[in-house]
Amino acid sequence: MLSPLLHDDPETVGRYRLLARIGSGGMGTVHLARTPGGRTVAVKVLHPRLAGDPEARTRFRLEADAARVIGGRYGAGVHDADPAAPLPWLATEYVTGPSLDEAVEAGGPLPEPAVRAIGAALAEGLGQLHRSEVVHRDLKPSNVMVTAFGPRIIDFGVARAVGDAPLTRAGSALGTPAFMSPEQAADLEHGPAGDVFALAGVLVFAASGHGPFGSGSAADLLYRVRYADPDLGGVPPALVPVLARCLDKDPARRPATGELAAALTDGTGAHGPAALLADVLPDAVLREIARRGDDVWREPPHRLPPPPPDTPPATGPAAPAVSRRKLFAMTAGAVAAGAGLAGGGVWAWLAGRDSGTGGTARGRTTAQTVKPPARLWTFAVHIPNARAEVLAAGSGVAIPAGIVLCGVNAESGEGSWQADLADGWRYAADGKKLYALRDPEEGDTLAVCEIDMTDGQPGKPLAEVPDLAGDEPRNQLLCVVKDIAYLAARAASGGSWYLLALGLGDGRVRWRTALDAARQQNEPPLLCAAVTGGRLLRFRSDSGLSSFLEVTAHDLADGTQKWSRSEPYDGPPPTRIVHDDRHFYLGADALTAVRLADGETAWRFGDLRDVGDSAGETRLYGAPEVRDGAVYCTEGDRGVVSVDALTGTLNWLEKGLKNRHLNRDEAPAVGEKYVYSLDEQGLRAVDLRTRTAVWTLPTDATVLSADTERGRLYVRQEKETFALPLD
Amino acid sequence: MEGLRQDDPARIGEYVTLARLDPSAEAHLVPERRYLARTADGARTVLVSLPPRGADPARWAAEAQWAGRLTQPGFWPVTQLGGSAAFPWHASPYRPVLPLTAALAAHGGPLPERTVRLVGAALAEALASAHVLGVAHGGICPAAVLLTAYGPLLGCFGAARALAPDGTRRAGVPGLDAGCLAPEAAAGHPVSPAGDVHALGAVLAYLATGHTVPERDEIPPALRGPIAACLSRDPAGRPAPAQVLAELAPGAAYGTHTAGTEPLPLPGRVVAALSDQSVRVLTLELPAEVR
Repeated sequence: MLSPLLHDDPETVGRYRLLARIGSGGMGTVHLARTPGGRTVAVKVLHPRLAGDPEARTRFRLEADAARVIGGRYGAGVHDADPAAPLPWLATEYVTGPSLDEAVEAGGPLPEPAVRAIGAALAEGLGQLHRSEVVHRDLKPSNVMVTAFGPRIIDFGVARAVGDAPLTRAGSALGTPAFMSPEQAADLEHGPAGDVFALAGVLVFAASGHGPFGSGSAADLLYRVRYADPDLGGVPPALVPVLARCLDKDPARRPATGELAAALTDGTGAHGPAALLADVLPDAVLREIARRGDDVWREPPHRLPPPPPDTPPATGPAAPAVSRRKLFAMTAGAVAAGAGLAGGGVWAWLAGRDSGTGGTARGRTTAQTVKPPARLWTFAVHIPNARAEVLAAGSGVAIPAGIVLCGVNAESGEGSWQADLADGWRYAADGKKLYALRDPEEGDTLAVCEIDMTDGQPGKPLAEVPDLAGDEPRNQLLCVVKDIAYLAARAASGGSWYLLALGLGDGRVRWRTALDAARQQNEPPLLCAAVTGGRLLRFRSDSGLSSFLEVTAHDLADGTQKWSRSEPYDGPPPTRIVHDDRHFYLGADALTAVRLADGETAWRFGDLRDVGDSAGETRLYGAPEVRDGAVYCTEGDRGVVSVDALTGTLNWLEKGLKNRHLNRDEAPAVGEKYVYSLDEQGLRAVDLRTRTAVWTLPTDATVLSADTERGRLYVRQEKETFALPLD
Repeated sequence: MEGLRQDDPARIGEYVTLARLDPSAEAHLVPERRYLARTADGARTVLVSLPPRGADPARWAAEAQWAGRLTQPGFWPVTQLGGSAAFPWHASPYRPVLPLTAALAAHGGPLPERTVRLVGAALAEALASAHVLGVAHGGICPAAVLLTAYGPLLGCFGAARALAPDGTRRAGVPGLDAGCLAPEAAAGHPVSPAGDVHALGAVLAYLATGHTVPERDEIPPALRGPIAACLSRDPAGRPAPAQVLAELAPGAAYGTHTAGTEPLPLPGRVVAALSDQSVRVLTLELPAEVR
């Protein structure tokens, strides 16, 4: 409903301070705005590009006049207007709605008493307009707002005085074909009777869920409006005769507004002056009314920042443009361990221990009582920023670097090998060992191998599944827990996909269960998975809805699906599931805990919190981390919050943080003394006892990986990965 | 919502008062004085609470401090504490709210059983999660429950303690609804979870009949059992909030009622009253002399 102001929207219009955008149409943009006295209004401002167009200015003045004529009972009361201003504007009451089409979408066709009440009130409103010699000319469900007290007609953008010569471009193209009158469709004079025709169309829609002439292309609709009989299917029988009369092709045979209002009130007796529309509205519509009346009081969204400069500085070849398919094809032919990596288009190489460059300090380091710790080691990898995690496996650390995986000695930071493992979904570590799916070149059937952390070479297959395809690049090694590997893989024959649990000790398949086919040609079927609390939990991007995550839980013992739910999600999809043995956690508009047992929301944190100023960000809560019964994540730009993992109550909020833009994509890392979090100034350590930041290390890092076993924090930034002690 | 009277403060801290939330005729049943107020620049609108006349401001302020630290689901969030020891207040961002007394007035009488169950389940769940942590509310009465579009929130935290210290008789103290005080709380015992359950029973009775002390026959038959159990004179005989929740919303998952993520289905007139309040506050202007 409300969207953020754009960076070039003005601060104020007249004496109104703009808060948010309500919508934008052909003529102008409607803003939510406030007077100096705190009154909230809707301000429509003519598009700047039309400000010099006399015809547009005339139409804007007519709209303001029409809005004044209909007034606050049947329309949105006019607060003030200045059609003569350099940028003409019109301030009216903000009617929260929902609009009639939103109401029907929420609750289906309205019951007959509601249709009658809405119809009678709209007829009276139009009558008032017509008595002042104005016709609306664009009545449609989205221009009718439903309130508890009756419908309101908004948007008089194409209204004009009866008998006025049409403005040059004010022909049929301006109306809405589905609710146009036949005379309007024929480019003839649309008078008051034309509004009656449109009103009947709106009521057919309200009563049946479809317009009288259906939907389709504008040309089809224009034809049907002029020549076809209206479709009154689904309209309550008692309303059919009067609506059919209103939809007569001959304007002269349609009833006038007064007659129509009387006909609609007849027979019910309920529509007296004391009756409220709310009394006859279905629950779903009442809930939409209540929702909007409450939501308008939330903090308005923050103004969007200006777009970035046209061409961001390039660092090496433009990596995102290279498709994963192409990369895969490239690596599939490449040789393992360094050989042949000098060819064109290959942009990852080992640089061993890097001590001299130190090119990370940018900006001034402020005086701090506690200094950031010195780096334990730095490993240079000249790759574009990636969001791949650094994996700890026994004595080594595996760092994904574009088309290879680099093995690094965890103590010295020295690079020891690189393996031909491009696709992050084909390998996984369990903290001690690194496992990978066998290279398609090496065998036809699916197999899981251990990667030797000293030389990066795959060992003999630990387990093999003959009827699953080994050459499917999208096969996925989700995780390895207690010597059982969890995989998503395609059958050797046919296109079916399976989710399976494969014992690595005995090579035995514990269970397998069908998985919907992978949707994307070059993406694996799932985002990530985790084993916890007797469940295998998996995330997937919801079909066609990039802002939703599909979360599904399987019984760990036999793979049966226990539950599945969809979660709205902003920002890059998670690469890791944050969980304890009771819940998993997501940060978005709120911090949410979902029970592993039944997939129900255990708690939500943040719904009623004022998260303060967070310029241009719609995401209020960042990616979370959980440790020792507390969930940590960023809250707006206020800092890190610690929330009780069991109950969702606030433990504490970081103190004294100002003027930072916090990184919402990367979860904080939690040590014994500090919680580490990224912001635009670098890596910040927040003392768990004093709840204040003790130091900030300047870095443009994008990945934080905590290695609690070894007490290390791996930080990945533009051209290097370095290790800090995890205190 | 009602216009300001001569004896109402014109300013509270940085806020200019605009209207009363509660009608003056009901002041003796409301444990706080509640105002709609706005910053002088018009930017923020809040709901501000003051101690009722005659109450000890220091004790009231101490309860407000506690309320400000709680982030219990289903509790009205107190986001700002202000004033002085002699004139304490607390404030929260405004959103449309109807004290249950106003909700019944808008509906024209007791609410339908379905609504009683939904509102009651949310209140029982809020108490269940507070009691687990050892937090007793100690101020529940119809006027203390603020109904929003997304469900009820428990305001007036600690009112019984704030208005009459433990050890003194609470029956008859202005601001405390006698029908909501458990016998032991009225006699001056410390506020307790069992006292909250008694008050919950009284609120349920109020929703279903319009009185906090109903005749048995007035209560819809299906609600008689849980309400009577809550109103038991013996604190040990009252159910835990989780049991009340289970009776009001059989089979529903715990944690779903106070989530407040979706609007509650409410009767048309109650929605109309919420919506009317929202529109009225949207259109309110600060008095010209402060601008």
